[in-house]
Amino acid sequence: MNRHVLAFAIGLVFALVAGWVVFPRVLYSHQQQPVDFPHKTHAAKSGNADCDGCHPFNSDGSFAGIPKNDTCAACHTDKLGTSPAEAKLVDDYLKTGTTTPWLVYSRQPANVWFSHAVHVKRAGLACADCHGALGTSDEKRLYEQDRISGYSRDIWGHSISRLRRAPHDGRTMSDCEDCHHKRHIEVGCFGCHQ
Amino acid sequence: MKVSRRDLLLGTAGLTAGIFFTPVPWKVLDDVSIWTQNWAWIPQPPRGPVTTKLAACTLCPSGCSLRVRMAGGFPVGVSGSPAHPLTKGALCPLGFAAHQLNWHPARLQEVRHQGRAASWEEARSAFEKACAEGPIAIVDGRSGRAASIVLQSFAAKHKASYDALRNAEEKSLAPYAKWANVSVSSLGYDLENVRTIVSFGAPLLDGWGVPGRFTHLWAERAAGESDPQLRLIQIEPKLSRTASGAWRWIPICQGSEELLAASLASVLIEEHLVPAQGPVPPASVTDAASQTGLTPAAIRELARAIVDRKPVLCISDGESPAIAALNLLLGAVGTPGGILPKSGHPLPMPPASANDKPLRAVLIDSTVPWEYVAPEGAEAFRFAAWDGGGSRAEWLLPAPGFLEELSDLPSPPTCAVATYAVAPNLLSTSAQTKTAAEFLLQIDPTLPAIDQTIRARCEEIFRARRGTVHAAKPASIASFESAAKLEQALRDGGVWLDDPPAHSPLKCSLREWPGNSGNRAPANWATTWAQPVLPPLAAKLYQESSLRETPQRSQS
Repeated sequence: MNRHVLAFAIGLVFALVAGWVVFPRVLYSHQQQPVDFPHKTHAAKSGNADCDGCHPFNSDGSFAGIPKNDTCAACHTDKLGTSPAEAKLVDDYLKTGTTTPWLVYSRQPANVWFSHAVHVKRAGLACADCHGALGTSDEKRLYEQDRISGYSRDIWGHSISRLRRAPHDGRTMSDCEDCHHKRHIEVGCFGCHQ
Repeated sequence: MKVSRRDLLLGTAGLTAGIFFTPVPWKVLDDVSIWTQNWAWIPQPPRGPVTTKLAACTLCPSGCSLRVRMAGGFPVGVSGSPAHPLTKGALCPLGFAAHQLNWHPARLQEVRHQGRAASWEEARSAFEKACAEGPIAIVDGRSGRAASIVLQSFAAKHKASYDALRNAEEKSLAPYAKWANVSVSSLGYDLENVRTIVSFGAPLLDGWGVPGRFTHLWAERAAGESDPQLRLIQIEPKLSRTASGAWRWIPICQGSEELLAASLASVLIEEHLVPAQGPVPPASVTDAASQTGLTPAAIRELARAIVDRKPVLCISDGESPAIAALNLLLGAVGTPGGILPKSGHPLPMPPASANDKPLRAVLIDSTVPWEYVAPEGAEAFRFAAWDGGGSRAEWLLPAPGFLEELSDLPSPPTCAVATYAVAPNLLSTSAQTKTAAEFLLQIDPTLPAIDQTIRARCEEIFRARRGTVHAAKPASIASFESAAKLEQALRDGGVWLDDPPAHSPLKCSLREWPGNSGNRAPANWATTWAQPVLPPLAAKLYQESSLRETPQRSQS
């Protein structure tokens, strides 16, 4: 092989490896949730097979979001088992009344207004359409945070190239727009950026 | 193997080329753009519970109802509240972004005296000295508020003059107020019952009056129809947005509106299209044709079109006695679909006072538009939340920003039914800001406090037992147990709307046809054009504009 072509190819390959393999690993920092939370196990043991058993809509139509400590304390008044996670939940949060600092994978920035009620109640979307199989898995997911933007990796999506993504993977503005275009729902700028 | 300089360069070229086949450039570009939106010095609302509160906008006298989305106690979004009986959820573009105004770069943060930082104590001393030397004037851009009572009371106690400025909508009602001997604020347009509106340049679809009131009517009864229920005839030199949406657009020469109004009146009387009542206008159709650019036949046809579908109402852009007199002739004063007095108006407004004497100082409230220029030689104490060009004022005094001031909102101009709302201060003010009323209350604590005035007004409305409070659910005044509960409902974003006015006569007497108000264009436009006094670009614009000499005028 021509020596000059080889030098160019080495540079090219180095860039491709750095861009596709190293860059995603460097870009995202990894954080553990304060307490391991297996969704599937909780759904099975509590009998709340549906998401709205723990994530209900309030009487005024607003979405309750992540359950408060009271919901957890209904079962975890005392330690159920001897796992370190159980001890941490009960001792550090439930007994002290401190709100558990869950890291929310799908948290949108403050300038985005998103109504769960509109999307679930009116549009009839299933939770899994946006959140994937989060509620039916016991996978202990790490929270990955973009070091530059500060957003969760779930916003961009797990595929760094955003090619061949799962339908629920990614919640950027263009993802919202694509979904709205498919359903012929136009809300304008103020629909989300109120 | 020895690595040469050329190998390194080629490797770098490969690296550079390769990087564009990875997500690095696109992802980094996206992330950096987000990162730049989140720099430490860019205000960020705190994370916290998201709530929605009702409030009232104080950016203009219309007092539109707001739904303010709060995150962690800070407003992060504003939209119109559909509960408001007049605006029905409409809001102007500035209102939609008003919560951003508090972080505007031009926000005043400190007292400034002749461009230099000063203190409130220095401002107070200077104002007290000016008061002692006198005479002074207090200028209010929005009279009738509780804060206005403070300004007015201070002026009365300290022998100062109180000047209430009027906007274009209020000025358009001034002739009727003068002829009927009532206050301008007690009159309004009954747009909901009118079937033909003749607008002499009033920007009805461009922010005139209460946002949403006319646009809703226009959308429901006129938009896109060849023979609409509500006919809008726009008489205006240029094709404005209102003109383009009107049923008919009548382009006339600039400044000839009053002459056209007089000639229309003479045609209406000549052809017995209205009962002959009041004075006969001196204008002839031929004269009007030569000045307006219309043909005599077009003026006669316009007069017939105006009265084709009654009730008809003429609206001027600013004060115009001739157009008001045309309304009198058309019977549009004191009748449904015309100009009506507000019934049971609980809030008497002070008349504007004129002061011709040279002033020692002038205190300018933050509601006064920046176009206002203080009298020559007077020391200006200018209150403002944002610097709109206040370097001309000796004293620039920072006022509270959007949603930072407790205020009340009496009936907006042009509204024929009395309303009352309270704008709560959803945000706390900084120690560096003061309203003009607070400034005067510190000088003279015996003045009526804003809280007290609002309470007294709520008690007055409660005692009258009239009207409805429009909030999430409308509630009649009779359903309130006490004035305190009514006040709380208004502070929580409710709007009180009086019952529709009973047919109360409005007697306007007019002995002779009013003269031109002075808005007329110079008669020698052609002469001016013949002598090239304009710069080339302006001359070109003039030549291609509606101001140019019309064929009819050339022939005459």
